Amino acid sequence: MKPIRVLVIDDEGVICDACRMVLSEKGYGVDHCLTGTAGLLAVESGAYDVVLLDMKLPDIDGSEVLKAVRNKTSAPCVIVMTGYSTMSNAINAMKLGAADYLPKPFTDDELLAAIEKTCAHR
Amino acid sequence: MTSPTRFENYFFVFRDIIRSMHSSTNLKEVLDVVVTKSAAVLNAKGSLLRILNKKTNQFEVRAACGLGERYLSKGPVTTEKLVADPSEFHKVKIINDIWHAPRIEYPQQAWDEGIRMIVDVPLSIKDQMIGLIRIYLAQAREFSRDELDFIITVAEQCACIIERVQLMENQQAQFSHLATQMEKLSSLGRMAAGVAHEINNPLTGVLLYSSNMRKKVPPGGYLEESLNIIIRETQRCKKIIQGLLEFARDGQPQKVLSNINDVIENALSIVSNQFRLRFVQVEKNLTEDMEKTLLDISQIEQVFVNLLLNSLHAVNENGRVTVHSVVNRAQNRVEVEVADNGCGISPEAIEKIFDPFYSTRTDGVGLGLSVSYGIIQNHQGDIQVFSEPGCYTRFKIALPILL
Repeated sequence: MKPIRVLVIDDEGVICDACRMVLSEKGYGVDHCLTGTAGLLAVESGAYDVVLLDMKLPDIDGSEVLKAVRNKTSAPCVIVMTGYSTMSNAINAMKLGAADYLPKPFTDDELLAAIEKTCAHR
Repeated sequence: MTSPTRFENYFFVFRDIIRSMHSSTNLKEVLDVVVTKSAAVLNAKGSLLRILNKKTNQFEVRAACGLGERYLSKGPVTTEKLVADPSEFHKVKIINDIWHAPRIEYPQQAWDEGIRMIVDVPLSIKDQMIGLIRIYLAQAREFSRDELDFIITVAEQCACIIERVQLMENQQAQFSHLATQMEKLSSLGRMAAGVAHEINNPLTGVLLYSSNMRKKVPPGGYLEESLNIIIRETQRCKKIIQGLLEFARDGQPQKVLSNINDVIENALSIVSNQFRLRFVQVEKNLTEDMEKTLLDISQIEQVFVNLLLNSLHAVNENGRVTVHSVVNRAQNRVEVEVADNGCGISPEAIEKIFDPFYSTRTDGVGLGLSVSYGIIQNHQGDIQVFSEPGCYTRFKIALPILL
């Protein structure tokens, strides 16, 4: 079976690397981008099942990236990550089409659970 | 031109006193006018005005004229000495024999000062004696009815202005306290949003690596134990930031018309287990005809959970916590009181109790009450604390009934 492919979009290299390690150990295929622009390009070209998206990016606002990703045909599911973990942020992200919401910081199990739950609903 | 009559003199003194009351916001200036003018018109050697300091229960000199430094330096007078008999509170007291009057504390000094007769005029508001004008005469003489009427009227005017100024000072102190409190909260809120992102990002790396690594180390060893500590402490940081973010939350609370008793019941059920485990009883006395108010239910519930847990921490096993709700129709608000008979709060701690990050518990973050304060402010309400160390603590919350 083809592995599930995950794209991490976060401007923090450490977070991208950590997610890649956790997810690839479980057999996911993982790529990452450090900006919103690069992330949108990657979504365009690659066939990703899940996007792990940070809401605060240096170039484009995370919610704009989220909208753009969700507008694509055969759009991947988006799990939103943010440091501003308030209920209204979570609700806003869901309204914009996010599949799930991961308040930073999170453990490896929380990350895996979110990805698994999202893939199960695909 | 004839010299002014005695009544004209009285009139001029009144005019001067009233003018100073209107033109000056400085109480000291007004009191100076009162003592000098009234001493002059009564041909007295001097006069002294004392005001009761409610904190120390002493009558402190606030204005004086015609008296030597040595006499003045005798310091404040205690209430007990001044008014041994409460029935004399409102009476003018004429003392001809300064040697044998119980309320004269320093007869020798008074005598040396050349004082032979003293007239005490109380400054009273309603049933309370708030001060005293003492008039010193160099020789004993009769006081006419007019003179007494005059000095009583001066005292009445004077008492009014003292009360007005004290009220104003109290309000000013309360407002400035409130303003600092709000300023602290709002600057903290602004800071919190920035800090939250900056700190949560590095914490994400720490938590992902450490939680992942925990699975790769031999179970039960010191490595696993160390990683557990790293994970636990990281999650503690997360919780602190979460608390901070409560301040930074955008917009107003999501208020719906609700019965605050239901919110209290909910909060009680959330904490009931913790109370049971420590054998602490909660006595609730919630009014049946509660008015509905506009509340953000989850926020107000958070406030009560907070107060209840604070009470639980304050009491010993078998302590008592009470929750009481009433409708205050006169002030058009609902009031809830959470009280305990626990360890109480020291006066120093009570000053800082709503400050962010102030905690007396080693395991406390110190955000519970400041978050609660912010929530109640956002409901246009009021939260107050009353406590007596070793006896009790009462938190009183008032929320407006909006018509």
